[in-house]
Amino acid sequence: MRTIVRGLRRWLRLVAVVLILAGIVAAVAFPEAAWNAIQLPLFAFFSTTRMVVAYLFALVFAIAYGHTAATNKRASAALLPLLDVLQSIPILGFFPAALIFFVATFRGHPIGIEFAVVFLIFTSMAWNMAFGVYESLTTIPADLEAAAASFGLRGWLRFRYLAFPAAIPKLVYNSILSWTNGWFFLVASEIFSAGGTEFQRPGLGAFIAVAGRNGDIPSIAIGIAVLAAVVLTLDIFVWRPLGAWSERFRMETAPGREIPRVPSPYERFRWLPRLPKVRKRIIASVQPALERYHRLSLRFERAYTQHPKAVREIRRVDLALFVVVFVVVVATGLVGLVQMFLRPLPPNASLLPSAAVLSFSRLLVAYAIALVWTIPVAAMLGESQRAARYLTPALELFASLPATALLPVIVGFALLLAPSVGAAAQLAAILIALFSMQWYLLFNLIAGVRSIPDDLKEAARSFGLRGRAYWKRLLLPAIAPSLLTGSITAWGAGWNALIVSEYIQYAHQFYEVPGLGSLLNHAVYPTPDNEMLLLTILTMIVVVLAMNKLLWRPLFRRASSRFRLEV
Amino acid sequence: MVDRPLLQVKDVAKSFFENAKEFKVLDLVRFDLTERDFVCVVGPSGSGKSTLLRIIVGLEKPTSGEVFFEGEPIRADNPQVAMVFQSFALFPWLTVEKNVELGLEAKGTLPEERRKIARKFIDAVGLTGFEDAFPRELSGGMKQRVGIARALAIEPLLLCMDEPFSSLDPLTAQNLRDEILQLWTNPDLPPKAVLMVTHAIEEAVYMADRVIVLSSRPGRMIAELEIDLPRPRNRKEPEFYGWVDEIYSLIV
Ligand SMILES: Nc1ncnc2c1ncn2[C@@H]1O[C@H](COP(=O)(O)OP(=O)(O)O)[C@@H](O)[C@H]1O
Ligand SMILES: [Mg+2]
Repeated sequence: MRTIVRGLRRWLRLVAVVLILAGIVAAVAFPEAAWNAIQLPLFAFFSTTRMVVAYLFALVFAIAYGHTAATNKRASAALLPLLDVLQSIPILGFFPAALIFFVATFRGHPIGIEFAVVFLIFTSMAWNMAFGVYESLTTIPADLEAAAASFGLRGWLRFRYLAFPAAIPKLVYNSILSWTNGWFFLVASEIFSAGGTEFQRPGLGAFIAVAGRNGDIPSIAIGIAVLAAVVLTLDIFVWRPLGAWSERFRMETAPGREIPRVPSPYERFRWLPRLPKVRKRIIASVQPALERYHRLSLRFERAYTQHPKAVREIRRVDLALFVVVFVVVVATGLVGLVQMFLRPLPPNASLLPSAAVLSFSRLLVAYAIALVWTIPVAAMLGESQRAARYLTPALELFASLPATALLPVIVGFALLLAPSVGAAAQLAAILIALFSMQWYLLFNLIAGVRSIPDDLKEAARSFGLRGRAYWKRLLLPAIAPSLLTGSITAWGAGWNALIVSEYIQYAHQFYEVPGLGSLLNHAVYPTPDNEMLLLTILTMIVVVLAMNKLLWRPLFRRASSRFRLEV
Repeated sequence: MVDRPLLQVKDVAKSFFENAKEFKVLDLVRFDLTERDFVCVVGPSGSGKSTLLRIIVGLEKPTSGEVFFEGEPIRADNPQVAMVFQSFALFPWLTVEKNVELGLEAKGTLPEERRKIARKFIDAVGLTGFEDAFPRELSGGMKQRVGIARALAIEPLLLCMDEPFSSLDPLTAQNLRDEILQLWTNPDLPPKAVLMVTHAIEEAVYMADRVIVLSSRPGRMIAELEIDLPRPRNRKEPEFYGWVDEIYSLIV
């Protein structure tokens, strides 16, 4: 064994030497490409750092928000609807405003742009994570909750032993989604125009975007390859092991009801088992302090329960403060809106309805294409372990590449196919929407197919259900809930994609199609118009919320009551 | 003072409200528990047994009536009362030992002391060697032993058990029943009284000194019977069957 490793090492050293030599030769031959290659690792580092910082903020926020919403009834009455809205609005639409705000706050210093980028990524990561925490905390089995209460777990102890561990599976699952989401926004935000100026920070996203504008195909390819490598490395060494580790925090289901998990080839990279040792050491060092704190708080609490009146007073003040802040925030927003509508609307406002219809139709086409291919593929991957074993990693790799990074590739591809510039722009807009939407559908559908109990499949087979009847009577009804979940997420991503897909600069030329996204872009850059900007975002929000309330919600309620796989 | 009531349940009634409609679950339940009492509450499923137990340990408020423990209104985090659950309610991410230490840590017991007590009760329920195992690695019977050790570890005066054997297979359940009775006869170990809830009449007659029979929907006390059979009890004896038949006819 050891000799094999040693042999391998020698080989690696040889390969490294060859690579370095090749690099030097290449650098002498193509100095420009070499310059790029030197910069790229640095760019990758900058971009990843932004992601990590945003993620840490999102993590803290999600835990605090989800925990408050789950444990404080009064706060949850406001927090939940707010989260619902935040989760469904296309946040990319707010980026110009945020950028201007941060840049102004820091008086034009580049750190303001950094803040804006991190803030944008944060907003793309935080909501679903917070929702995951909330969901986990409200679905803790009643008996476990009762056990915690009756054994006196409160405050910090309850959080540490009950709430936090219970939230880990969904938190990790949503973190993985959020991380992928984050790349989409990172790439879109590292280079951005707002208020008549262009802001740019060094990073992979900006590199790819600039390459796309210049039509510099080798740079596009190199940029995407490096991005893919970064995404994949983090996936293998961080997210997969974390996902495997989070399994142990799952509540036990009744035996025989476990959903079979397809083992992934990545899972042999397990560095987390080594972590408990580190963790133990950390815990051992902070434990005494925590114990002391806990005993102190016990004493405080005893004093506390002896003064119920004071406690009630404090609660009342707390409620009053909350109501005041809430009312002030809502009132300012309303006043601003009313003021805006009292003034005459900008001339372009008449374009809004038709733009909304056009954008919606494009998303609809992309959604239809996505449905057509994802349902059969999901059925195949869900049914066949072998196909899943080999195809899933490839699909996951492809899916983890953000559509914003693929933008230049997609436009180039559209140009090859389409007869005219106008048609190419339309095709590109639809393709970008497709790439933003399809993966959410696919992976939700695969999970749906996999969650059909084997008993049910066998029963269907033994009663001779085959072909169309099998699809109609078992498969489609069984995946209806996951189809809806996937659709909701996919449409959410689609609305965000609009903002980058309807107004593209590629190889020194603009590709533009009429729609909400291009209106927004116009209001930001060529003809800055804050009112129009706000109106466009509002239109988008109204359409999205209307769709959620009138279409998805009722459908989801029906599907989850009718097609739930209950045993 | 052997006869001081440890627990007083005074005219407890409980209703749940759904869409402004009232569902009466418990009505006028009243009984006392003194030291050395082993009491079983029997009733069909849905008769509000679990609800009664949750009220008694202070996890839920009764709609009317009161519960007193040692003369004081009950509180949920009272370390003198411990609970064993039908679903075991172990923390899946904590080892056996950590699960057992849980109540002690909440009480503010020091770490070394916690460890010692936890080991003692893990030993008492026969799980020595499994201190570092996780609940998912244990069989149902072993999980419930952890549940019992966790409850005993806080050295409660009153032990409440909600159908502790209902999710176990019959053989394991019988073994565990006998072991609990064994622990109960050991005067050095807590608790001072046991209140167990079950839908199995035989189980109640097998274990309890006193059986309280609840009717279904709403749960009302139909009878309170002293089971004066000598221990260890034999399920084959006619007297045993006499009691079972009597309770059965009361419920039906
Ligand atoms: N939190 C609750 N809200 C509404 N109804 C409840 C609640 N808890 C219990 N019930 C109802 O009270 C009745 C008695 O429940 P339970 O105490 O669990 O009965 P048992 O333990 O005897 O089977 C059941 O019909 C149940 O549906
Ligand atoms: Mg019950």
